[in-house]
Amino acid sequence: MIENFHIGFRDISKSYGSILVLDQTEINITSHDCIVITGNNGAGKTTLLRIIAGLEKPGHCEISLDDASPEPWRRERKRLLKTVMYLHQQPYMFAGSLRRNIEYAARLNPALADRESSVQKAVSWAGLEGLESQSAASLSGGQKQRVALTRARLCHPQILLLDEPTANLDNESRERTLQMLHEFRDSGTAIVIATHDPGVFSDLATSKLHLQDHRIQADDIGAADVVELDSVRQSKKR
Amino acid sequence: MDVLIASTAEAFRLLFSGNPEIWEIVGISFRVSSMAILAAVPPALVIAFALAYGSFPGRRFLISLFNTFLSVPAVVIGLTLFIILSRQGPMGDFKLLFTQTAMGLGQFFLCLPILVCMAHVALQAADRAAWETARTLGANRLRAFFTVLYEIRFGLMAALLAGYGRIISEVGASMMLGGNIAHYTRNIPTAIALETSKGAFAEGIALGIVLLFLAFVLNSLLQYVQGKGSINP
Repeated sequence: MIENFHIGFRDISKSYGSILVLDQTEINITSHDCIVITGNNGAGKTTLLRIIAGLEKPGHCEISLDDASPEPWRRERKRLLKTVMYLHQQPYMFAGSLRRNIEYAARLNPALADRESSVQKAVSWAGLEGLESQSAASLSGGQKQRVALTRARLCHPQILLLDEPTANLDNESRERTLQMLHEFRDSGTAIVIATHDPGVFSDLATSKLHLQDHRIQADDIGAADVVELDSVRQSKKR
Repeated sequence: MDVLIASTAEAFRLLFSGNPEIWEIVGISFRVSSMAILAAVPPALVIAFALAYGSFPGRRFLISLFNTFLSVPAVVIGLTLFIILSRQGPMGDFKLLFTQTAMGLGQFFLCLPILVCMAHVALQAADRAAWETARTLGANRLRAFFTVLYEIRFGLMAALLAGYGRIISEVGASMMLGGNIAHYTRNIPTAIALETSKGAFAEGIALGIVLLFLAFVLNSLLQYVQGKGSINP
């Protein structure tokens, strides 16, 4: 289980040359959250996720963890890289077998007591048994997604960021992905999903945000839904 | 034609009879070139990585500079280092001129641009997601660096072989910096030049055969590793 946490990203600004992408926007993420972010192409969803992941340097951003005073992004970057995981729209598979890909993540988590059995459990969790020796490059899109989520599981991230995780997946793969994401959320990991298809995550989402005019805006999620989702979150925390 | 056939036959006899002088020259060549490329690989990889992934002023200039160095003749490098290492030069006190170290230095600067440029191209062609995935999984910079290098290992092997092929067969820098001293700085290319000038073609051909054989082995290796990296199933 992930310990409860709250992390706020404030005054996030980012430009590419003269093109403004994010303008003094903010996002708050709490354990057990599942935040779905929508927005048009080029609205800055991916940029926002990459800033949260510590992969993209923002023009400006301050981060406050729990009740601590805000720190600049640069100072918190190392922590972000250790505690936040970003999954690309098309997950990258390292050269070699599926097992090598999963072992790679296991080796990076010193907290794993028995690496061998952890890897085996993770493979079973993802329903990837029998594929361990298969070349990761030859896996289907859905299987790659599961490998990426399995790697994430072995690293126990506080925040899991997903960029269009169900794009180009068939129904079965989508359902499996959603099931795995439910388990992440239940264990306390906060999930942030950038998508064009928020309906897919309606059962998973605890809040819905819309990125427009370079800023995050609360979407038109129903009040009843918010109450229900909040109560789910509170019960998980308890 | 008879001279060529007779010299070639004599060359094979020299090689297979284990002529100590010939094999000593071969040994010096391999030792110096291997040391030079081993010394050049780490800085070349770091430079290539900085050029591919870094964002700093002068990056484009550096890329152009290294590409320009690809076409610098060996004698120019030899001349530059000769001036630096000669008694009057800034590094004259080290007394490195006409030593294997000086030859190695020349070869180091000859293969460095090849390694940098080819590794840079391989890194540019690689998916940036490899680096980001490693980092987001919690790998530190060094670990992620080696992860990416493994991902582009076929391109790096090609760079290594191209660099080695370039320095083991170059004559200009080795002649100027090593001085072609028997049993010490005489390597394959400088020995071929010397034997040919003396009219001792058999020795020259024997050493040429070694170089040709090496070129064949290097190219076969390259084909092998590239074949492994084939996109075909």
